[in-house]
Amino acid sequence: MMEKLTSMVYWTHFVSVALFGLGLLGFLIRRNALVVLMCLELMLNAVNLILVEIAMKTGTSEGIILVVFVITVAAAEVAVGLGIILNLYRIKKTVDLTSFRILSG
Amino acid sequence: MKEMIFALFSIITLLTGAGVVISRNVIYSAFNLVLCFFGLASLYLLWGATFISMVQILIYAGAIVVLFVFVVMLLNFEHSSERSQNFWIILGSGIGSWVLSLFLLRVLSNTLGASPYQSAAPTNLRTVSKLLFTQYLWPFEVLTIFMLALIIGIYLLGRPESEGTQS
Amino acid sequence: MNALDVAISALKAIVILVAVIQVVPVMIYVERKVAALIQDRPGPNRVGPLGLLQPVADAVKFLFKEDPIPLNTNRLLYTLAPFLSLLPACLVIAALPIADKAVLFGKEITIQIADLDVSLIYVLAIGSLGVYGILFGGWASNNKFSLIGALRSASQMVSYELPLGLATVGAVMVYGTYSLREMVVLQDGTLGGFLPNWGIFYQPLGFLIFLISSFAETNRLPFDLPETEAELVAGFHTEYGSMKFATFFMAEYMNLSTMAGMMTVLFFGGWHLPWITDQQVLDWVGSQNLLCLIQVVTYISKVAVFLFLYVLIRWTLPRFRFDQLLHLAWTNLIPLGLINVAVSAVLMYLMRGPA
Repeated sequence: MMEKLTSMVYWTHFVSVALFGLGLLGFLIRRNALVVLMCLELMLNAVNLILVEIAMKTGTSEGIILVVFVITVAAAEVAVGLGIILNLYRIKKTVDLTSFRILSG
Repeated sequence: MKEMIFALFSIITLLTGAGVVISRNVIYSAFNLVLCFFGLASLYLLWGATFISMVQILIYAGAIVVLFVFVVMLLNFEHSSERSQNFWIILGSGIGSWVLSLFLLRVLSNTLGASPYQSAAPTNLRTVSKLLFTQYLWPFEVLTIFMLALIIGIYLLGRPESEGTQS
Repeated sequence: MNALDVAISALKAIVILVAVIQVVPVMIYVERKVAALIQDRPGPNRVGPLGLLQPVADAVKFLFKEDPIPLNTNRLLYTLAPFLSLLPACLVIAALPIADKAVLFGKEITIQIADLDVSLIYVLAIGSLGVYGILFGGWASNNKFSLIGALRSASQMVSYELPLGLATVGAVMVYGTYSLREMVVLQDGTLGGFLPNWGIFYQPLGFLIFLISSFAETNRLPFDLPETEAELVAGFHTEYGSMKFATFFMAEYMNLSTMAGMMTVLFFGGWHLPWITDQQVLDWVGSQNLLCLIQVVTYISKVAVFLFLYVLIRWTLPRFRFDQLLHLAWTNLIPLGLINVAVSAVLMYLMRGPA
């Protein structure tokens, strides 16, 4: 147990998985569209952590390159997501996701 | 020593990550998100990935969360408190996330935990950029086209409506 | 890493930080005096000889003033905001290479708090965090003018980070490194026999873009839209008083000194004297420590010139309108920055061949 607590690898796995779980949980239970987007970011970052670990542990560059791609896509996703949220707010004056039911019949 | 610092920053990252999910006030969520990204950046730094760590701060903390905070302040829903979700949804999501996390942890420990260190040649920035512009040129170019599409999309989203109905 | 190394690092950090903070009182005095000079009035001349003790009087005044907290605000963020803006300003200093190395206690000590291999990105990254202090401060003040100031500041700083970063890309290409220290080392000597070997002669357009963007990044006139006193009372710090206001003030001046330092390092040869190589100076003075002292003085005088330029421009140019400000960034500076990068790349390929 002590060995696990003082190992960077185990901590990395634990943090990554826990962050992913937290992000997923928030994604599912929060109603505020902004917080849902933030939770998406948490999940992406959890994956980045694992990629960095792999890159640094094996001394290869692919992990770092993937992280660069993920960060770029994440930035793009947030920009579009926030644009959509602003437009939704313009229509409904709220960002509560459960109030957008036009398509659910 | 390094492992202790790593553990400390891991705990900070997890606590602030939990803060993002459980904060009632969106501003606090955003604030926790900044701290969480900082924690992650320090974890990258401890792994030795200085470039990624700095990019993490520059892009996530310096640009993305600023946009979040900007939108929160623009919409200004200080008074609109969020109703909490149905109890059964919370319970189901909690159990689902918990089980999935355990499963992922198991998979990670089995696949990566056992693999030994082979940090003979530490990743350096020069090799990364060389690979990015030779072997991974196509993904990179696709990404640029993607960004162009993104710019056009955001322009369309943010464009004031032509009828002048913009509030 | 033994105890001595740790002690030296800690001492270095403290000494450099305290030294850089001294820019605040000096700048308060210089700003007031230069303003007076330009507006043809005497300026501060009551406290001490030539009004030199004015900064001290200001500090005492700030300390003893009432510290108001507006009603119905988020007290936590309101109190935290000034420090959120000061903290990045202090952190950035760690990456600036002030001089080469001194020899003390039989050890070579570099006059730079931390020699990161990506120190340029570090400065840009941490520098971009200063916006949180302004954003939270403006929001937590519970005041319309503060909120508008904060929102302006956010869009302004996010917009101008792009040209700022693009301007440095040219320098990175020329020197082939992200380390500020290595960049300075490469600027030693002369270029073509009659010019100092400084970045500005490689990247003139890059320097111009960096200079313009740095005004916007530090919220100085002509780009001080977050705190326009004619439109927004005082912008994001309308509701702040006493030491909290002084903290915002300190952060602004420290950001100024960082930007001046960045320009010195990237485009004006850092610690190098013009036309003279370090080796020549070392041969004349004969001691590494003396050389180090000369380098520190050179660096400080270069930074002082830029700080003076900031003050001069603040009191001579009128303020931009906000749409003009954003237009300048998105339609002029960013395309110019991209052109600069492309032209530099082509020229470097023609002159140096493939890397």
